[in-house]
Amino acid sequence: MRVLVTGAGGFLGRHVAASLLEQGVGQLRLHFRGAPPPGFVEGLATRFPAATIETAAANLLYRHDLEAVVDGVDCVVHAAAGMRGAAADMFANTVVGTRNLLDACVAAGVRRVTLVSSFSVYRTERLASGAVHDESVPIEEVGISKGAYAHAKTRQERLVASYRETHGLETVTLRPGVIYGPGSAGPSSRVGISAMGLFFSLGRRAELPLTYVENCADAIALAALRASDGAAYSVVDDGLPDCAGYLRGYRARKRGMRVLPVPYWALLLGSRVLLAYNRRSKGQLPAVFTPYIVRSMYRGFRHSNAALKRLGWQPRVATEEGMRRTFEALGNEERG
Amino acid sequence: MRAGIIGCGKIADGHAEQLRALDGVELVAACDREPLMVGQFMDRWPGLAGYGDAAVMLAEQRLDVVHVATPPDSHVALACLALEAGCHVFLEKPFALDAQGAREILDCAARNGRKVCVNYLYNFESPALALQGMLDEGRLGEIVHVDTSYGYNLSGDYGIAVMADPAHWVHRLPGKLFHNVIDHVLAKVVPLLEGPVEVQAKAWRKRPASGNVLVDAMPDELRFLLAGSNGVTVSGMVSSHARPVAHTMTVRGTRDTVELDYAARTLVRSQRQEQPSAIGRLFPAWVQAGRFARGGLGNIAAFARSDFHYFQCMRVLLERFHASIRGVGKDPVPPAQILMVATLIDAIVAAVEPRA
Repeated sequence: MRVLVTGAGGFLGRHVAASLLEQGVGQLRLHFRGAPPPGFVEGLATRFPAATIETAAANLLYRHDLEAVVDGVDCVVHAAAGMRGAAADMFANTVVGTRNLLDACVAAGVRRVTLVSSFSVYRTERLASGAVHDESVPIEEVGISKGAYAHAKTRQERLVASYRETHGLETVTLRPGVIYGPGSAGPSSRVGISAMGLFFSLGRRAELPLTYVENCADAIALAALRASDGAAYSVVDDGLPDCAGYLRGYRARKRGMRVLPVPYWALLLGSRVLLAYNRRSKGQLPAVFTPYIVRSMYRGFRHSNAALKRLGWQPRVATEEGMRRTFEALGNEERG
Repeated sequence: MRAGIIGCGKIADGHAEQLRALDGVELVAACDREPLMVGQFMDRWPGLAGYGDAAVMLAEQRLDVVHVATPPDSHVALACLALEAGCHVFLEKPFALDAQGAREILDCAARNGRKVCVNYLYNFESPALALQGMLDEGRLGEIVHVDTSYGYNLSGDYGIAVMADPAHWVHRLPGKLFHNVIDHVLAKVVPLLEGPVEVQAKAWRKRPASGNVLVDAMPDELRFLLAGSNGVTVSGMVSSHARPVAHTMTVRGTRDTVELDYAARTLVRSQRQEQPSAIGRLFPAWVQAGRFARGGLGNIAAFARSDFHYFQCMRVLLERFHASIRGVGKDPVPPAQILMVATLIDAIVAAVEPRA
């Protein structure tokens, strides 16, 4: 079976490629938007000499480039997505790119598509505080109320579902929580945000839905190869810390970080004030925090990975060890 | 007035936000050839009618104003389509690919008796408006020289998109990256120049080669010198490497000099030494500091009045454009200035082409 990984040069995509090879995929095609990261493909070829590893460069926004990318592929793991930029750019790189890829898959007779979605698509605003957060939580209708990224990922997931219905593609969806590991960006906005020289600690006692990048990649590879058609999985590790605990570990390695804790009630009140001001001032300050976002992202839930475990997944790196590795890498970076 | 937008990329959100803030204008429709992009725009701006064909939108929506926010190679066709349908047109920059295209749009507007304008928004930033007031009152005397700097961060989101994608429309522009930003520089100085204008320019690539021929053909540093027939000279720097990223202009007149910072929204008069000896050199920095402080207080006051939006300048420009449509004000960007900017871009592109 030939498996294609889109976005194989990304933080997660690189590990997904390795996990697929570890799980026995013999023919792997790696998609990059431009050139592969230096030494990456060569490193995989050395580690997995029996495997056939191909590369394909294409911008998913250009349909005509994608025929060659999916030619002869049986299964696609779609990890490419727009992670930054303006809302329209993020949408185009996520949703329009996915539509083009799906069209190419249908035309080429690709059997199965595994989508790397996001935790942000879950409609948690109505979930009771302290409730179990698993795959039974419905996804957002549109996602626009949770910001540009959630909007794009929600539309992307619904698009994939529509291709499953219309074209009979087998689909599997993975919704990773906060993916972390050495080389990842700073703390998730669930933990807090930096502004005006301070770090505003927002998540506080809420459980942080972490997944170490290698664990997440293993889950995606496993689901791509074994999950049943139409299945969806949350991807979170065991032994999750709360946001304040994660921040303590991060601060121990990050010099000169000044933290201002923001209790949940203050965050909710602040978001109401910000939204009212945004409307009154006709958008002079963007409503980046709304009560909907605060209720969705900053309350405490108990995250479950039971469905993934039933599929046979086990996190290979414990959360404590994952955090140690991540913060150690951060410390090395700080030391230059 | 009923307004519609063609092109639902990222700048369309800026237009929509300002249109929604204006009195007497209602954004009612959006159009993009890519239905998914229309859909995402309508998600963000609910209540709009969505279209995949501009001609259909124009036929069905009875629009008064059409905003064209598509890549520039489509501007002539779309602007003329809307003008011939009886709409006034507001275009994103660059106005057209070249002066010939600019003339076609302006002629079409004149034939149809419609207004056309371009998003030269920085001419309507608060320091630019203050400068205009000083020029009107003759406080700078005769203009001698203008020095303008504009930075472009290739590590930003847009820069990364351009650099990573050899098929990006910016690479198809005759002046490539600079063609997409130099309107902002030239639009500010054109009101001070009289033609014909002598042009010298040099452009080069300072960053290392990527290995991609198309991407590497894109210069990232530009310098130019303009000499107007009225004796005013303009030196310009567009840089992708100078830090901090600049957006400034210094206007030197026979009576006074002012320094404008478009990002910080300040205009200060340059202070010269007025007292003798070393003591005299103590004062200018403090006088200048006081002028900056007054500018800062003015900005706080504008913020308190909710007149300090990120795209406040576009809001001012649109207010004036709509006023001109209603016949209660002159064109905020006169056609002659639009044409002169396009002509100067052509000349700069021609000047740098052999070296690019």
